[in-house]
Amino acid sequence: MKRWLALAVLIAVAAVLPLLLSPTGYWIRVLTFTLLFAAMAQAWNLIGGLANQTSLGHAAFFGIGAYTSTILLLKFGISPWLGMFAAGALGGLAALVIAIPTLRLQGHYFALATLAFGEVMRVIANVWAPLTGGPGGLSVPFTPPSFAGYSFKQLLPHAYIALGALIIVTGIFEVIRRGAMGYRLRAIRENQAAAEVIGIDTTKVKLQTAVISGVLMAMLGTLYAQVAVFFDPDTVFSAAAISIRVALIAILGGVGTAAGPILGALFIIPVEELMNDLFSAGAAGLSQLIFGAILIAVILWKPRGFITLWDALRARFARGETR
Amino acid sequence: MSFVQAIIDGLLVGGVYAVISIGLTLVYGVMGIVNFAQAEFLMIGMFVSWFAWAYLGLDPVLAAPLSFAVSFAIGWVVQGQLISRVLKAPSVAQIFLTVGLLIVLENGALLTFGSQFRSVVTSYQTMSLSLGALFVSVPYLIAFAMSLACGVALWWFMRTSWFGRAMRATAQNPMAAQLMGIDTALMYKMAFALGVGLTAFGGAVILPYVAVFPGVGGQFVVLMFTVVVLGGLGSVAGAVVGGLAVGVIQALSSLVFPIQLQNLVLFIVFILVLAVRPQGLVGARR
Repeated sequence: MKRWLALAVLIAVAAVLPLLLSPTGYWIRVLTFTLLFAAMAQAWNLIGGLANQTSLGHAAFFGIGAYTSTILLLKFGISPWLGMFAAGALGGLAALVIAIPTLRLQGHYFALATLAFGEVMRVIANVWAPLTGGPGGLSVPFTPPSFAGYSFKQLLPHAYIALGALIIVTGIFEVIRRGAMGYRLRAIRENQAAAEVIGIDTTKVKLQTAVISGVLMAMLGTLYAQVAVFFDPDTVFSAAAISIRVALIAILGGVGTAAGPILGALFIIPVEELMNDLFSAGAAGLSQLIFGAILIAVILWKPRGFITLWDALRARFARGETR
Repeated sequence: MSFVQAIIDGLLVGGVYAVISIGLTLVYGVMGIVNFAQAEFLMIGMFVSWFAWAYLGLDPVLAAPLSFAVSFAIGWVVQGQLISRVLKAPSVAQIFLTVGLLIVLENGALLTFGSQFRSVVTSYQTMSLSLGALFVSVPYLIAFAMSLACGVALWWFMRTSWFGRAMRATAQNPMAAQLMGIDTALMYKMAFALGVGLTAFGGAVILPYVAVFPGVGGQFVVLMFTVVVLGGLGSVAGAVVGGLAVGVIQALSSLVFPIQLQNLVLFIVFILVLAVRPQGLVGARR
């Protein structure tokens, strides 16, 4: 009961917060991207956390999503709302194509294969200029503001859509984690051979997780395209800015937990914005340098993420209560 | 004829790929860690060599031992202070520690040296030897010869010296090695430092034909992984075969495909090898 109450309060705060920020201002943009990246990290968390397969190529699905809906809108005038589902379908297909040959691989090998897959997609998007616009990128065409057309004058609706997306992706994550699939994934994570012996089709379970993760990531790519309005292959298929960053957010927060990606995004995205604001003029690379240093520090001292701080806090309070 | 020419170029360039990738495979072979930051040591090696050329007037190729030494020292500290702490951690922690290192090194270089490209001027830069209708580029040949010398030196060191044998013993069975009185922590430091040193050495010898900038590692990272995966992660002999193979694949694909697709061919070879034969084409242990 207490949990649900806390959750309701959290969502209420998140729902009111965008109203308090200037609708055309800078911070609403930061908030929108924070929510979006939290949702992306949550989608990564399915395969990276629950299935324990470290993907370094989620930008592939993300970029596919951004390009699919934008190309459908540009060439056929199809609303991005529908384009989002086409994006999800293609993202799921791409996840299937890459997962079938690579899911047998473990640890480092899987990370390497997915990293290369993301790069393959980046090169293709750069070269296939007639479809993607090549290195010059694509602009999302301006349509008269309407909800059905997924076009708004302000960022406020985008913030709410990102919040909705985060709630939905987190919901899917929790349902899977608590359901039979979550138990199977946990069994595989603990001991793959033992899981197979007790009758779990390990390849099938991992494949399902990979596809769901790919579908969600691609749909979030569509949301990103609508907010960013302009993107190019090197942004949406970026190994550093997308693939590694979403994994990082989940890991900083606490990998494999529903709260982890949210905590991670709430920390990383505003801190990055702040650092870019403070340093960008003077010293190129300083904010990224600090970012890398934070990553190393967290891996060494809090390898299970910020969530452990929360757990420690709660344990302290729980002890207090029993006395 | 252009086919034979491409194979010659590919083999010469591939020899260098072999040396820069041996470092990666050595670290994995001894410690079971894939160093995602390995290509950044190539960048460090190139910068050391560039500064040696610009301020000391050394030929970049002769500065290669200096590049090796600087990277060796950095690698020693990195292994002792950072990597050693995640040796027994889950692979996620290992992957992201080295990814963090990659980010720090690349942006540290950006901050210190700026983003401009730096290249060297040497007397032999544009020279080539002609063998009938074929040409052998002199800077490629020199880089290849230096790489060969470096590879032979490593082989000799690993075969004959006590350190080399102790390192191989540690790779085979750390526990047994420790029981035999080998300081495995020292061997890990040695392996990591040697590995990144070799990569830096390779960086120095390619400086006459590749310009250095902080992001140069990114151009080599997938290439290095392709080399080691082709040869089997952990196998030094495999890395040599893989390096030559990647050089030739790259040169041949440039005959058929436009330059933008050159990397695509490599990526696809890489994914296929991982999917079909993750233990590598040469079939190493592990």
